Amino acid sequence: MTTVAKTTTPPGTRTAAPAAGTGQMWGRAGLYVFLTVLTIIWLLPVIAAFITSFRTMDEISINGFWSVPQQFTLSNFNEAWNQARVSRYLGNSFIITIPALIGMLFLSSLSAYALARYKFKLNLPIYFMFVAGTMLPFQILLLPVFRLTNALNLYNTHLALIIIHTAFQMGFCTFVLRNFMRTVPGEIFDAARVDGASEFRMFWQIMIPLSLPAMAALATLEFTWVFNDYLWAIILLQDDTLKPVTAGLATLRGQFNTNWPVITAGALIATLPTLIVFIFLQRYFIQGLTLGSGK
Amino acid sequence: MSRNKWFIAVLLISIALLSVASVLAQDNSVAFNSYSSDPVPRAFEESMVAAWNEAHPDMPVQHSIINHEDFKQAIRAYLIAEPAPDVLTWFAGNRARFFIDRGLIMDISDMWEAEGFDEAYAPGFNALATVGEGKYFLPTSYYWWAIYYRPSLFEKAGIEGEPETFDQLLDACDKLNAVGITPFTIGARFRWPAAAWFDYLNMRTNGPEFHVDLMLLKESYLDERLQATFANWQKLIDRKCFVESPAALDWQEAVDDMVQERAAMYLMGGFIVDSYPDEMEDDLDFFRFPIIDPAIPVGEDAPTDGYFIAAQARNPEGAKAFLAYLGSKEYQQAAFEQMGRLPTRTDVDISGATPPVQKGIQLIQSADYIAQFFDRDTTPPMAEVGMDGFMRFWDNPADINAILQDMENERLRILEEESE
Amino acid sequence: MAAALQIKKPVVRRRINWTPYLFLLAPLALYFVWIIAPTFYTIYLSLTNWNGVDPVPGFVGLQNFERLFTKDRTFSEALLNNVRWLVVFITIPTTLGLGLAMIFNNEMRGGRWYKISFYSPLVMSLPVIGLIWGWVYHPRAGLLNGFLQAIGVSSPPGWLGDRELAIWAVIIAAVWRQVGYVMVLYLAGLKNIDPSFVDAARVDGANRWQLFRHVVLPLLAPVTTIIVVISIIDSLRAFDLVSIMTRGAQNTQVLANFMYIEAFNNYRMGYGAAIAVVLFAISLVFIGFYLSRVIRDELEY
Repeated sequence: MTTVAKTTTPPGTRTAAPAAGTGQMWGRAGLYVFLTVLTIIWLLPVIAAFITSFRTMDEISINGFWSVPQQFTLSNFNEAWNQARVSRYLGNSFIITIPALIGMLFLSSLSAYALARYKFKLNLPIYFMFVAGTMLPFQILLLPVFRLTNALNLYNTHLALIIIHTAFQMGFCTFVLRNFMRTVPGEIFDAARVDGASEFRMFWQIMIPLSLPAMAALATLEFTWVFNDYLWAIILLQDDTLKPVTAGLATLRGQFNTNWPVITAGALIATLPTLIVFIFLQRYFIQGLTLGSGK
Repeated sequence: MSRNKWFIAVLLISIALLSVASVLAQDNSVAFNSYSSDPVPRAFEESMVAAWNEAHPDMPVQHSIINHEDFKQAIRAYLIAEPAPDVLTWFAGNRARFFIDRGLIMDISDMWEAEGFDEAYAPGFNALATVGEGKYFLPTSYYWWAIYYRPSLFEKAGIEGEPETFDQLLDACDKLNAVGITPFTIGARFRWPAAAWFDYLNMRTNGPEFHVDLMLLKESYLDERLQATFANWQKLIDRKCFVESPAALDWQEAVDDMVQERAAMYLMGGFIVDSYPDEMEDDLDFFRFPIIDPAIPVGEDAPTDGYFIAAQARNPEGAKAFLAYLGSKEYQQAAFEQMGRLPTRTDVDISGATPPVQKGIQLIQSADYIAQFFDRDTTPPMAEVGMDGFMRFWDNPADINAILQDMENERLRILEEESE
Repeated sequence: MAAALQIKKPVVRRRINWTPYLFLLAPLALYFVWIIAPTFYTIYLSLTNWNGVDPVPGFVGLQNFERLFTKDRTFSEALLNNVRWLVVFITIPTTLGLGLAMIFNNEMRGGRWYKISFYSPLVMSLPVIGLIWGWVYHPRAGLLNGFLQAIGVSSPPGWLGDRELAIWAVIIAAVWRQVGYVMVLYLAGLKNIDPSFVDAARVDGANRWQLFRHVVLPLLAPVTTIIVVISIIDSLRAFDLVSIMTRGAQNTQVLANFMYIEAFNNYRMGYGAAIAVVLFAISLVFIGFYLSRVIRDELEY
C-alpha cells in the first residue's frame, strides 16, 4: 500500500507502448466499440435520471420510460430548487463542509508534522492509532457521539457535524500528510534552524507551503466525502432548515413520492457541487484517492 | 516569542473545537417538527403556521416538515435529545404511550384545563389523551379506513353492489381477474399498509377483543385463532386478489394503479383522497371491510392523530400556547373543511360534510369497537417484528408457523424487558 | 503550561522533547474525545440494557451478545447480508476494476473520457445513488422493467420489493459505485510498475496473458491487498443505500441499519451497542491485518 502512498507525483512512464500493425487496427476498433457500449450501459442510470428530470411524470406513467419524449420541461428543476428547498440544503452542505475541511487539514497537518519530523517514544503508536481509526465503522461511535453532542449543547447544530467530520477524517489526513512530509528532506529545516526560526515557523512557513499539493489532493477528496455524508446528518440534526443536501434529498422522496422527474432533478442538482469539484480538480481527486488508499 | 505564538494558536484552535460553543440567542420561538410531508397536509399545515406567525410575531413557530417515514424513525432520537423540538405531530395509542412511559412527553393537563378542552373534546378523545392522572396528548383529528374502489371498474367486471361478506369479496376478486383487472393494489414499501390487512382480517375473524389483547401483548401469537386469520388471508392470496410485488411501491405509487385502471380496490385510510387526482374523485368510493363472521362485533381502524410537547422542550410555555392553537375550534374546523379530517372537538360544525365524509362518519359510528392501527395499538418493537412478519407471509405463506414463532419470541422479550 | 512556554532553545542534556507533543496536543485531544473515548463507551454500553432514557445503564454482562447469537433472527439475516455484500465486493468490483485499469493503462485516444465515465459514480453521494437506482428498479415505470417489458417479459420482477432479489439489487447499486474506485487504485498501481520488468518479460517472449498473469498481477499484489481490505471495510459499513432504498425491509437488513433500528427505533441502546461491537470486532480483524502491513512497511523504512 505504501508503494502507492509514498508518491504523489504521477510518474510519466507508461507500461506498454502503443503497438502498431494492421491486425491491431481492427482490434483497436473492436476495443472502442466494446468500450463505448460498456460506457453507455454503465452510465445508463445517470442518463435515465437526466432524461427523466426533463420530462413530466404524466407522460412517463402513461407512455412508459422508453417512449419518445413529447416535450421537455425545466420546471422540475425549478420545483426541486424552490419547493423542495434544495437550494437551502446545498447551502447547509457548504456551511458544514468548508469549516470541516479547514479544521481537519489544519489539525492533521499539525499531527502529521509532529509524526514526520520528530523522533519520540510514542511516535509510531500514535501513528498506528490514526491509521487504525480510518477504518472504524461509524456505528461504534454513534450512540456516544449522540450523547456527547447533547451534553455539550451541540446537538442540532452545524458545529456538531463539523467537529465529528474533522475528528473522524483527521486520522486519514494525518496518515497521508505524515507520509508526504517524510519525503521532505530534513536539510531544508536545518538551514532555517540555524537562522533561528522557531519550530512553529518552520512548520508554518516551510512545511505547509511544501505540503500544499498533497493538501489540495486531500481537500478535493475529503470535500466529496464530507459533502456526501448522510449518516451523521440524520443522527445529529433535527431541524429541516439545518439539513445538508444528502439528508434533504431523502425528504424529496416523501414530498414528491410519485413525481420522479422532480426527485431525479433534485438528485442531479445535489450532485453538481461535487461534480464541478471533480471535473475541475480531477487530477487532485485521483491523486487524493491513490495517496493513502487507506479509506 | 514566536514559540508562544504558535502555542497560543494551537490552544485557541483546540478550545474553539472542543468548547461548548452553543451561544444560541435565547429567543421565544417554538420548534414544531411535523411529519405532514404529503402535498395536501403540507400545504394546509404551512398555511396554518403562517397564520400563527402573523398573529404572534413575538413567538414565531419554526416549522420543520420531515418526510413522513423518516419522521417516524427520527422522532425517537429527537425525544431523547437536548433540546428536543417543542411541539411534535404524533399518533395516539400505544405509540404515544411508549414515549409517555419513558417520561419523554410533557404532562399538559394544565393546558387542557385552561383551554377548556376537557369539555370541548369528546369523552373518547379525552380518554385517549389520559394516562394515569395526567394528560399528555392532544388528539386533533381522526379518519377511517375502508376498502376504496372504482365503481366504473366494478361495473365493467359485472359486480353488483359493494361486497358485504367475505365470500362476496372473493367473488368480486374472481370477476375482476376475469376481465384482466387486478382486484387489490397495495403499496407496502414501508410495510404498514400490509398491517391494515392483518388488523381487519383478525378483527373480522376473531373479534376486536382478541385483537386488542393481542395488541397489548396479552395473547400469544401462537394462539390457534391466529391460524384462522392467516387462513383467510391465504384465501385472498390464492384467489389472486393482490397486485404482484406489493412491497415494491410506496402507498402513494400504488394509488396510480387505480388511477390507471390496472387495479380496482385499495384497503386504505381516508387520506387516500389527498393523493387521488381531484378530477377523478367522482369515480372513487369506499365500503366497509366485509364481514367474515356475522356473530362477531364489528371493529374498525380509525386512527387518531394529534400533537404533544416533548418533555425536554426548550420553550414549554410557547409550546403550550401553540398547542392551544392547534387544538382550537378554528383549526379543527379548517382541517375538516379543507382536508376532510374528522374533528375531535364536539363544537366543530360538520353540517357541511360532503357525502363521502358523511359516509365515513357513518362507518365509524356504526362500529362496535374502534381500534387505532396495528403499529399504533401495539408497542413499537412488536410492530417492527410484526410488520416484517406480514411481509414475509405475503412472500411465502407456507412460512407462517416460523413467522408466528418469531413474533411470539419478540412478544416474550418485550414482556421480559417490561418486568425488569 | 507556563513551563511549556518557558522552553527556549533545545538543551544539550538528554531530556524529553516536548515539541512534538505540543503539535499533537489539539489533534489528539479532539481525537480522543470524539473517536477513542466513544469507541470504548460503546463497548461499555454493549454490556448494559440502557434504553436511552434512564440516567444509569443497568449492567447485564454478555446477555446482549447471547441474544444476538442465539435468538435473534434479524441479526442472522443482517449478518448473512453483510457477508453477501462482502463476497460480492471483494470479487466483482476488483475483477472489473482491474480489467478496466488494464485497458486504460495503455495510451488510447479518448481514454480520459472513458475513464471519467467509469469513476463518475464515485462523486455521487449514496443517497443520490439510492434515489437514481430506486428509479431504475421502479416496478412500473422504471428503466429496467420498461426495458424488460419492451423485450417481451410479461411480468418482470419487483426488484426492491422482492425478498429474494432486493438485497442483490441494492448490492449492484453499491458495486456500480465501487468499480471506478478500484479502477483508479489499480491504474495508480500499474503506473508504479517498473517498465523494465515488463520489457524483460517481453524479451523472453512472453505473450500478453503470460505477461499479465506472471508479471503484472504479482507486482500488483500489494495494491490488490489494499483494495480487498478497503472493500471489506466498506461492505461492513454499508448503511446509506439500505437506509434509502429499502430501510432494511424485504430481507435487506444489514448490521449497520439493524443497529440503528434497535438503538433508536426500539430504544434498546445497549443492544444496539452490542450490534455495533460485533461490527467493530469483525472490522478489527481486517484493520489488524492492514495495520500489520503498515507496521511492516514502517519497520523496513
